[in-house]
Amino acid sequence: MHKRAGMGMLRKIKVFYLNVKSLLVGMKVTFKNMFAPRVTLQYPQEKQPMKENFRGMVDLIPEDCVICYQCIRICPTAALDLGHKQIIVDEKKKNEITKFTFNTELCCFCGLCEEICPTEAIFLNKMYEVAAFRHEDLLKIDLMDAQKYKHLDKNYIFKKKE
Amino acid sequence: MKTLILQGLAVLGFVFFSAMFLVWWERKVSALIQNRVGPMVVGWHGTLQTVADSVKLLLKENIVPSGVDKLIWWLAPFFVVVPPVMAFVTLPFGKSMIVRDLNVGVLYVASMTAICVLGIFMAGWGSSNKYSLLGGMRAAAQIISYEIPLLLSSVLVVMETGTLSLQGIVEAQAHGWFILKPHLAIAFLIYLIAATAEVNRCPFDIPEAESELGAGYHTEYTGMKFAMFFVGEYTSFFIVAAMATTLFLGGWQGPFLPSFVWFLIKTYGIIFVLMWVRWTLPRVRMDQMMSFAWKVLTPISLANLLIGGWFMVNA
Repeated sequence: MHKRAGMGMLRKIKVFYLNVKSLLVGMKVTFKNMFAPRVTLQYPQEKQPMKENFRGMVDLIPEDCVICYQCIRICPTAALDLGHKQIIVDEKKKNEITKFTFNTELCCFCGLCEEICPTEAIFLNKMYEVAAFRHEDLLKIDLMDAQKYKHLDKNYIFKKKE
Repeated sequence: MKTLILQGLAVLGFVFFSAMFLVWWERKVSALIQNRVGPMVVGWHGTLQTVADSVKLLLKENIVPSGVDKLIWWLAPFFVVVPPVMAFVTLPFGKSMIVRDLNVGVLYVASMTAICVLGIFMAGWGSSNKYSLLGGMRAAAQIISYEIPLLLSSVLVVMETGTLSLQGIVEAQAHGWFILKPHLAIAFLIYLIAATAEVNRCPFDIPEAESELGAGYHTEYTGMKFAMFFVGEYTSFFIVAAMATTLFLGGWQGPFLPSFVWFLIKTYGIIFVLMWVRWTLPRVRMDQMMSFAWKVLTPISLANLLIGGWFMVNA
């Protein structure tokens, strides 16, 4: 009985030692972290660059479009609306887009239009701040307009896909 | 009379400035440890954040919950703020920067910081909220338990110098700080641990354990009353760090720089260490904490007192 009591005391001292040691290990970890790089992003001033396969708003390079209607057909939610007419330029028949609009409300950002497009004219850009003040601002976005998202994002610049 | 008023104003100004600075610094240290940046928007690196916060707290509605014990509920914040401010009277900030050098300084500061527990318990009782009451009771149990090792370790310093006056203790350390002596170094460690518990800070912050009690004794307080609890907390935090500096680290003694600068450097150094501890360690359980106070800290400090006394007599 006496011997066991003695062992208990030794064990307690060992536990105490291990406890103190683990405290110091923890302190060392936090001290190292004081000099580690910060993970905070000062959001409205700094922006997170989006990944290569990020699917933002639908965008279009009008000159590349061949009016094949593939994107209209594949769109699962019918968010895109395309119309064209024939015109004659230098005695040659040519198709011209009359309207190409995009309904943000219906879009599910699946990226199928980007995948199917034979000339890579239609693509999903890197926009992610897409709140508008009015409902109508999101309904009919004219994809032919180079300033199409200017009302959602002041810094929007039309960029061709890399 | 005029100097007395000036001294009082200086102390009050320092108390509130220091509390605001400490709140900001606490947030910065926690951010540093957690790889964040902390408050950055108001002022340079968020230095004016606490000013903005206190303006917000001043403008907030003062909500009195129904069923509170009105008198006790109203008085509690004052009992938390006033005693630590009164303890500033005898803190030696510099060679001649002291309001009154009381000949019972150590005792005075210890008793003033001990009154805080009354305010905390009053807040817990007056709120008529079971969690607040639990927090207040825990605070009472904790602070009274940890007072004993805290004072036993201060007694060793008093035995070394033979005076209770804080200025006298600082002057006795002119030829080497007390922390350099082995038995006083142990006393310093005990003092730091007990002081952490005394000011209800993590890992001993069970009176305001957020996860169990929902902020404990100050749950029912809003606006400026809540801010007063904060000021009281950080002021007593400053007091215990200043006392550790005075008793063990040589107070304002130091080469080259003016004496009050040395005092502030040492005090804020200790405060930094305690903040570092807070943001590293998890909270202990109530029973663990009480058994640690009575079964570990008190016996060690008593043994330390005995051995230290034996050395003083025989050396």
